[in-house]
Amino acid sequence: MLEYAARQAGRLALGLLGAVVIAAAVSAVGMPHARGPLPFLAAASHRLFDFVRLDFGHSAISGLPAASELAANLPATLALVGTGGFLAVLVGVPLGFLFSISSARRAAAPMTQLVTAVPVFCAGLAIAYGAVHLLHWPVSVNAAADARIFADGAFPMAAPAVLTVGFAGAAAVQLALRRAASLSSGEAFRTGLKRMGLSLLEIERIYVVPRVLAGLAASAGEILLSLFSAAVVAEWVFHRPGAADLFVKSVALEDWNMAALIVAVFAALTLLAEFLGRIAAHAIAHGDAP
Amino acid sequence: MPAQTISPSLARTLLRATGWCGLGLIAIAVALSDFLARAPAGAVGMGAMLEAPSADHPFGTDLLGRDLLSETLHGLSVTTIHALIAALVAIILGGLAGAVAARLPRPLGQSARGIIGVFAAVPALLIAIIIIGLSSRGLAPLAAGLAAAPLAFVRAFDRVDTQSSHAYYARASGIAAATLLRRDLIYEFRDTLASVAARALAAVTIILSTVSFLGFGATPPARDLGLMIAAAKTTYLSAWWTASFPAVALIALIFFARMAAGLEEGERP
Amino acid sequence: MNEAAPFLEISDLCVTRSGTIELDHLSLTLMAGDSVVVIGETGCGKEALLRALGGFPDRNEAISGTIRFAGHEPRHASRRLRPPVRTAYLPNPRSHPFAPQASVLSQLSRVVARKLNAPLASAREELRLALERFAGAPTPALLDCTPAQLDPVSMAWGLLAAAMAQTPEFVLADHAFADLGPIAVKALLHALNEERKRLGFTLLYITGGLQPTARLDARILVMRQGKIVEEGDAPRLMSGHAHAYTRTLYQAMPLLSLERPKRKTARGQPLLQVHGLMLRLPDPAEEHASRETLSFELRRGASLALVGEEGSGRRRLMRALLGLERAPAGRVVFDAVDLNILSEAMVERLRRRVAFITGTDEALDPRMSLWDTVDEPLRAHLDLSRDLVSGYREGALKRVGLASHNGRRIAGTLSAFDKRRLQVARAIVGAPLLTVVDEPLLGLDAFAQTIMREVLKDFRVTQGSAFLVITSDFTVAQALADDAMVFKAGKIVERGPIVDILREPKQPATRELIEAVTLGAPDLSQATASV
Repeated sequence: MLEYAARQAGRLALGLLGAVVIAAAVSAVGMPHARGPLPFLAAASHRLFDFVRLDFGHSAISGLPAASELAANLPATLALVGTGGFLAVLVGVPLGFLFSISSARRAAAPMTQLVTAVPVFCAGLAIAYGAVHLLHWPVSVNAAADARIFADGAFPMAAPAVLTVGFAGAAAVQLALRRAASLSSGEAFRTGLKRMGLSLLEIERIYVVPRVLAGLAASAGEILLSLFSAAVVAEWVFHRPGAADLFVKSVALEDWNMAALIVAVFAALTLLAEFLGRIAAHAIAHGDAP
Repeated sequence: MPAQTISPSLARTLLRATGWCGLGLIAIAVALSDFLARAPAGAVGMGAMLEAPSADHPFGTDLLGRDLLSETLHGLSVTTIHALIAALVAIILGGLAGAVAARLPRPLGQSARGIIGVFAAVPALLIAIIIIGLSSRGLAPLAAGLAAAPLAFVRAFDRVDTQSSHAYYARASGIAAATLLRRDLIYEFRDTLASVAARALAAVTIILSTVSFLGFGATPPARDLGLMIAAAKTTYLSAWWTASFPAVALIALIFFARMAAGLEEGERP
Repeated sequence: MNEAAPFLEISDLCVTRSGTIELDHLSLTLMAGDSVVVIGETGCGKEALLRALGGFPDRNEAISGTIRFAGHEPRHASRRLRPPVRTAYLPNPRSHPFAPQASVLSQLSRVVARKLNAPLASAREELRLALERFAGAPTPALLDCTPAQLDPVSMAWGLLAAAMAQTPEFVLADHAFADLGPIAVKALLHALNEERKRLGFTLLYITGGLQPTARLDARILVMRQGKIVEEGDAPRLMSGHAHAYTRTLYQAMPLLSLERPKRKTARGQPLLQVHGLMLRLPDPAEEHASRETLSFELRRGASLALVGEEGSGRRRLMRALLGLERAPAGRVVFDAVDLNILSEAMVERLRRRVAFITGTDEALDPRMSLWDTVDEPLRAHLDLSRDLVSGYREGALKRVGLASHNGRRIAGTLSAFDKRRLQVARAIVGAPLLTVVDEPLLGLDAFAQTIMREVLKDFRVTQGSAFLVITSDFTVAQALADDAMVFKAGKIVERGPIVDILREPKQPATRELIEAVTLGAPDLSQATASV
């Protein structure tokens, strides 16, 4: 276990280093004097050196230090991703388990495919449509609505974005679960233990569920990836300020310092989730669940 | 027929066949889009503003009076062609390169896997946006393909079982790594190319349309489905058809590609 | 329980699976305490019988007939009900009966707890007591690890102990001890036999090999195509006064011979020369930390058997001989070239003249077609025309009896026997200087074993390739080799011509290996007399 954790930690460290290098390269691209391979390399290594000294440069749009700009925007995105992720697990795990039962799987397969084939922005627009027409919430997709107009506007304002992220996350969660379940569905030990006298429920509960959950934990990085993608779309559609929205604006206005920093932070968070997920999967799959 | 009476493999084959048939229909619609459409792409004033679906305009019209049926057909054709280019890029630079890298000498292959793995930890959408931001919007298909490639690379790399005992015995009887790579390419691709291609098509379609929706993709007058939906944002809350029909076309493309690829990621054909 | 009434009555049991008949109107009566071994080829219907009795028939099997246990109403055989008597199921450890992430001990305890309806702790205690009854069984602490960390023999002991801890009335053994190596099989069968005498349960043991028929005091049922063709006890079936099918079955039983074979080979150039090879560094903790080294020579066309139990170091020697693993010291000269001084690429070139025939069918790429598998050595190493390749391929496939198979079939879909023969065909086309034959009969039934043995003998005689035979079975060693090295716990304890070893085994380990394969006849002189 320790050896495994150490190896994974090594991978994490290398991954984080890689993310910083990529960020340095992206931010060097924006420098006016970095044209041609050699100047570019020089600029990139210069930026890398700056990053190591925790100097992330200034935002070209606001002129503020990129780090403080990010610090102002990241909490909103993390809150969105966090609540969306919570919703995703809440909905995705039961659905994933339901769909991994072989009879339900075949019947529900085309349906799940159809639902998960909806791109996040379409789902976001559909949620907004439903919120406006069915729930009469003050949702706008065309301009940032002013929360002060509505005394109790905080919840209806936030809910559609969270729902959108949750929808994308739930799709990723149930896919990861189904994948893990389908990998362990054909295994011989089910037959072996059943014939030796254990009941099917016992086998599923004690030996299969931990494996499937381990599979889910191992996909943590992938799930976080889809949550971040969804956050980009949700913040854009519902005009919610946040790091993801800031990223889109930064690229559109060629503020490469800002974009580089945001990409690096997202990649680092994903790598961290992947690391923790792998450790959790290892722990779950090797201990005998009571 | 209830699901229980169909054998699992038959059900799977049926679903995949449905997916390919759907993709075939879309391909026909794309090939004949100029013929099927009533108006050339972007022709304004074909009807009244925001006219609801009717016999004249089965999908209605948009804010500029463009016939939405024609626009959707043109948009679908742009999206599909861009997605095909992107999928090709993703398969060659991702899947193929991953399979080859796995058979390289171990240190070399592992470091390639490590470097590409970092890119795979960034959402593909962000990579695509950065690449487009650094180059130009005209290169959106290429960017989407490049953005999807790292994940495809990592998957293809991990799929190659370098520790398998048949590979061990092959090496022990003097079979070269190049022959093993040839085996991987021939047999793995023979078995999985169709589903890998369909899955890549679905993935890049999502990236491409999202990128367009955010304003980094197709440039007018060539409008793809993502851009059409983005343009419909201002009107669709009151005129539902402006966004719905392009969205349905987009979802159909992704859905059929997913069906054609098979149900689960982990599934072996 | 009424002593006179039969323990189990099967009447008119028919099982068909997608049109093929697995069991054909089978009727069978077992008395309480009976011990029955069902033997037959793969697909003779013995598995279908076991599944029907255990109450776990496959979903796609159509079943008719009734099964009646003593003191219970007869019931339709197609019902998926557990038998109304305490039944223990004994699977083969190689059939992966355990969940891979959990400890074997905990899984066995859970099974015992479930069957005894007892708490886990007391089930674990029962299991410990059962393990203690068996000489040679591992301790519970040793079983407390995941299946991947455990050898199949220890797992088999665990499975046997778990079955016995349930104090069963009826035991269903499903190829329980097949392919575990003769010494282990002998000990396990002995333990099972003793437990049956002690607990008095009824035993039904299905098998494809002949070991259990000779070692259990049991009634033997010979099955073929869903029917019982003959039944009797081992001495009668072995005597030769039996149904023709049974006779061929028992002719297949390999016996050791003490006759000195005509040495037909070993006059050629040396193929492998080993000088001062050290297989492992001397353990400083050991008292006699002698630097044991090994020197020998294998000539072209000669044959050497490395005999020993699983994990006794035979494969380590093989890997060192082929340069797949560096030995700590010593020199290996292959085909007049010193492997130590060659680059990896050059060693790889040399290994083109080495072929493998192994008992693990994973040695074949499951994605390749039958033809591609055979063609690959030709295509990879030689520049031959299409016609020549197909000519060699046809010849090789004919030699092993696969010529009539569809050449485009994928290797992964072939039966174990076909895969094994495909490995031989692949070896034949490579015209190897050295063929490594590694437990070639693993997982095959008695008939397939006979044919495989003949195929290998034919290969050896006609190709003139040197053989390196890795086996735990002296009958296999004798059929395929002239000389042997006997391994025990990583060391070579005895070496020399096989006949000499058989005549006068000097080490207890060798004697044990020999005794484990002298079937039917307790001492060797009788075994040879019947040849």
